[in-house]
Amino acid sequence: MDYNFAFVLRYQDALLVGLKMTVLVSLASIAIGCLWGFVLGMARGSSLRWARALATVYIEFFRGTPVIVQLFWVFFCLPLLLGIELSNMASGIVALSLYMGAISAESFRAALKTISPDQHNACVALGLSRYAEIRYVLMPQAILRAIPTLLSNCVSLFKESALVSAVGMADLMFVGQNISNATARPVEVLTVVALIYFVIAFPLTRGVTVLERKVLKGLAV
Amino acid sequence: MMSTNTSAPLVSIRGLHKAYSPTVQVIKGIDLDMHAGDRLVVIGPSGGGKSTLLRVLMGLETIDKGSIAFDGQPYIQADEARGKTSIDTKVRNSIGMVFQNYTLFPHLTIVENLILAPCKSRGEKESVAKDRALTFLTRFGLRDKATVYPSQLSGGQKQRVAIARALMLDPKLMLFDEVTSALDPELVAEVEQVIQQLALQNLSMMIVTHDMWFAKNIASRVLFCAGGTIVEDGPPEQVMGAPREERTREFLSRVFHIGA
Repeated sequence: MDYNFAFVLRYQDALLVGLKMTVLVSLASIAIGCLWGFVLGMARGSSLRWARALATVYIEFFRGTPVIVQLFWVFFCLPLLLGIELSNMASGIVALSLYMGAISAESFRAALKTISPDQHNACVALGLSRYAEIRYVLMPQAILRAIPTLLSNCVSLFKESALVSAVGMADLMFVGQNISNATARPVEVLTVVALIYFVIAFPLTRGVTVLERKVLKGLAV
Repeated sequence: MMSTNTSAPLVSIRGLHKAYSPTVQVIKGIDLDMHAGDRLVVIGPSGGGKSTLLRVLMGLETIDKGSIAFDGQPYIQADEARGKTSIDTKVRNSIGMVFQNYTLFPHLTIVENLILAPCKSRGEKESVAKDRALTFLTRFGLRDKATVYPSQLSGGQKQRVAIARALMLDPKLMLFDEVTSALDPELVAEVEQVIQQLALQNLSMMIVTHDMWFAKNIASRVLFCAGGTIVEDGPPEQVMGAPREERTREFLSRVFHIGA
């Protein structure tokens, strides 16, 4: 059998639309998931025992179950329980955000732990409210310190996002699968799809090292 | 001579007890009145409760027994029955504190460090706060450091920034907790000079220090604390020059031996 990769170019528009969807879902889930992960990370290191316990159970549960099961659960079970219909896109983003929250919580918890308790004392002495302390003092420092691990969380999320094709979302994976089925040329199409994922994920992984050196050095954190 | 101020004291501490655990009693009954304009220096051996006293005054610690009034208003109260401490955070806002380890915010520039609390907790306009911040920085010889990050400053510069940051909130009382202890010896003077400057403006302050020369120079009143109580209390010439108590004498002779 001879392979013809050039023909995939004919489908570049469709693939691009799929890629846009993949990027959109990933970015939305990363944004929501990071906020959620920060909350979970705070709870994980909290002095309140019930908050710690709840966060731990949540995190372990989401890290210990397949993402595709979580996705199907949100897609099929959540509407039944809540009595509301979620679009494919909404359930994809909800499921991936819940997952992103669980994996980024550990990054935030570790980062929060490196912030000295003196920072809290300073906030009290300056009369900052707990909200202002979290928003302007703890969160920015936690994010800066968590950037290296957070970026690799983002790369995982980006790759896992291919699973949303299983609930019928027209992402890159979904489009690729359709083209491959329609043309009966899985080798060319799926290889190209894999390459597209790789071309995006790889620089991100490398970026971790660069960012680590550049951003963090200046702040001496 | 002790001042015979008849107005209400700025700080009034009654029956203060504080333990970190049942076996670690750090403050075992302190009664203290401090008047506006006092520069009260607390000296004494490590573990004698000096820093804890300051931390309690800043509202950073719970207390087991006693109460503190500030500027005539109830401020901190121990609820012995429920084992809780109530702290009036409004009153707390009139007190500023500078710590041993600078505690600047590493992710913010110097000027941002100064304006964070005025803008975010007092609602001051950013441009107004910035102007005030630059005035402070100029006064403390740090005008050219406004836009750098704390990691680019020396210890002495960081500590001066920390003092300016506290002053931005216009406190009625400043607490200095061993602010020169973490500094290299040659940087101590620049920080002490800034505190001297504030003394000239009659700012009320309570200072915990191991630097006896500084204590003698700046104090209007000296407390010698040991074992969780106030052992001796009086003007610096008396407490440090002619101490009445054996424990004070012993402490001072030891300190000056090491220092000399």
